Amino acid sequence: MDLLAQTGLNAVYAASYISLIAVGLVLIFGVMGVINFAHGELYMAGAYSVVLIYSDFQLPFMVAVAVGLLFVGCLGLLMERALFRPLKDNPLGGLVASIGFLMIMQALASMGFGVRMEHIPPVTQHVIEFSERVRLPLSRLYVIIAAVVLLTVLWVFLKKTRFGWALRAAAQDPEAAALQGISIKQTARIAMFIGAGLAGIAGALTAPLVSVNPHMGHSVIVTAFIVIIVGGVGSLEGAVIASVVYAIVHTFVTTFFDGVVADITGLSLMLLVLIVKPTGLFGSADRA
Amino acid sequence: MLSKIAKTGLTRRTFLRSTAAATAVGALPRASLAADKVIKIGFLAPLTGAVAAWGKPGLDGCEIWAERVNAAGGVKLADGNYMVEFVAYDNEYDPAKARTGATKLIREDGVSFIMMLGGDTWPGVQPVADKTGMLFSTLLPSDLSPDTTTLIAPTEVHPVYVVTGVEWLAENKPELKTAVMCAQDDALGLPSVATYLAAFEAAGIEMLDEPLLFDPATTDFAPVVTRLISGNPDIVCLDTCYSDYVHPIAEQLFQQGFKGQIISATADFYDQMIAKTSEEFMEGFIFNFPDFDDPALNSDQINFDDPNGFFAEYNEKFPGQWGAVSWEYASIMDLWKAAAEKAGSAEPDAVITAMKDGKGKHAFGDADWWGKDLFGIDNALVGDWPVVAIESGKATIKEFRNMPAWYDKHGDLLIKHMKAYDQMWDQRS
Repeated sequence: MDLLAQTGLNAVYAASYISLIAVGLVLIFGVMGVINFAHGELYMAGAYSVVLIYSDFQLPFMVAVAVGLLFVGCLGLLMERALFRPLKDNPLGGLVASIGFLMIMQALASMGFGVRMEHIPPVTQHVIEFSERVRLPLSRLYVIIAAVVLLTVLWVFLKKTRFGWALRAAAQDPEAAALQGISIKQTARIAMFIGAGLAGIAGALTAPLVSVNPHMGHSVIVTAFIVIIVGGVGSLEGAVIASVVYAIVHTFVTTFFDGVVADITGLSLMLLVLIVKPTGLFGSADRA
Repeated sequence: MLSKIAKTGLTRRTFLRSTAAATAVGALPRASLAADKVIKIGFLAPLTGAVAAWGKPGLDGCEIWAERVNAAGGVKLADGNYMVEFVAYDNEYDPAKARTGATKLIREDGVSFIMMLGGDTWPGVQPVADKTGMLFSTLLPSDLSPDTTTLIAPTEVHPVYVVTGVEWLAENKPELKTAVMCAQDDALGLPSVATYLAAFEAAGIEMLDEPLLFDPATTDFAPVVTRLISGNPDIVCLDTCYSDYVHPIAEQLFQQGFKGQIISATADFYDQMIAKTSEEFMEGFIFNFPDFDDPALNSDQINFDDPNGFFAEYNEKFPGQWGAVSWEYASIMDLWKAAAEKAGSAEPDAVITAMKDGKGKHAFGDADWWGKDLFGIDNALVGDWPVVAIESGKATIKEFRNMPAWYDKHGDLLIKHMKAYDQMWDQRS
């Protein structure tokens, strides 16, 4: 029973940070139609913000997280202006440009911080003990709370505000949205800032819990792609639900079988969804 | 990283400035010795990526070695003295890049000897070695096979040395009866899994579960640790996990309340692990790579020149970077230099013949060329290896133990487990 409970807590944590990354990726694709291969490097940039602000300058962790959010959000704006907007008429342009950006980001991180993993002091060593073998470190609880709050705020923003309506309209039909007076450039900027910022804050929040190195974006981008394909490319709700499903499956299979089998299971899940419902669980045919 | 530098009174900016200055100073002897004859040595290892911790610190150690040797007159061959210059190529632990690097080092740079980490990268390089006859070294004897006679493993006998830690535990902590193990599923992890299994079986320690393998791309180790400690083992074995894995796994063990014994092949940057957990939690952590300021390394049996001075110089030049391999490639160079001077030549055939003539001067004591049973060829230099424990926050050599002596008693177990994991030289493709 303890094993099940601890594995469940592990799955909730995994679902939290995966959904933050995947929702950002989906938002960028939904509004701009760009597959951002550099999304993992935005996550990495968020983590390095914590290295610099919290670990090196020894400022409070929450300041580092806020800087990570803003800095990576601004990186997203830079990508939109310098890469994606000039290439918006080229179907593969954004994708290729994002791959180039990915390499530049990795090289910059290597030059600025070195190639080795960075040591980040623990934010807290407090642990909530439900029993001797069921424990939730506060540092992981922070990630769970942050993910719930941020995704709720995003949901309210998209459903209840004019900017959110504009964003959704631009995602559904850019031409019709433009005819209604919605600025496509403006919505693209908002989508990039939010999407990149979510990746940045995920990287910042998890930085003390993972190995921070210039190549850390690789593994999360693979997971994020699996999740958005399962959830339905372009569907925010799908990304969240698929994150939860993937996290549960991957965590439980890792615990009860092993990590290699878990990876195979995750990919099999994606293939199964592609065969049964090629648009993903919540995707629509026109976006897929 | 920078906080460590800051503690030494340096800022990132002054650190970069001093690094640039050190680089310039390092280049000076080469410039002033431009008229001298130079032997180039290839350094083909991961300098970036997850495995960089077992490449870059070794290159740093080699630069110190070269400065010392060059200052003492260089390598003395039959036709005069030669200065040593290292030419590095970052293979990113990728076989294709390793092959490109080997070709470049031989054809364009004209190196006389190439040092590698080995492992997953060796299959990419092997055809180049076979075609050119270049002398290569690996830290991983599991790369050895009779197919390539010019590949040697003269320093680290990974993973055979891990048996020493288990044997020491069994003798000194007989109350530890059960163990579990995790490892990344790759060419470094699997032979080590087989060796630890043999060592635990030889020591009478029961494995509670099959070794838990994880994908090298794993970032969240909570599920792995939950599974590992679910059966309340006395020992958690971290195999030969990379430091990018050892650290988060140790942190998870701490956070999930494990209070037993931890054993690992390495514990690179263990001070950071202590910072993430506690000194009490890390007390007694067993591994196999000492700090070179350890007084035990000043004994007569040690063949590494001035280990304490080397450690001090390393930490001054590369603060916070000391790791398992910091001394290993330099130690290989000691052997290579001695063999080249004995042969009077840097030619690969002459050097390897001289090197294998009699006992080898391994860093931890005189050793024998060994390995026919396991690797199909006696190209691994095997003797004593230290068992290291973290005590009061500091790595401390507990004892030197002899690997061939263990193998004489339990070699059949090692072969059995190696075969089960398809890790014998004739099973590897």
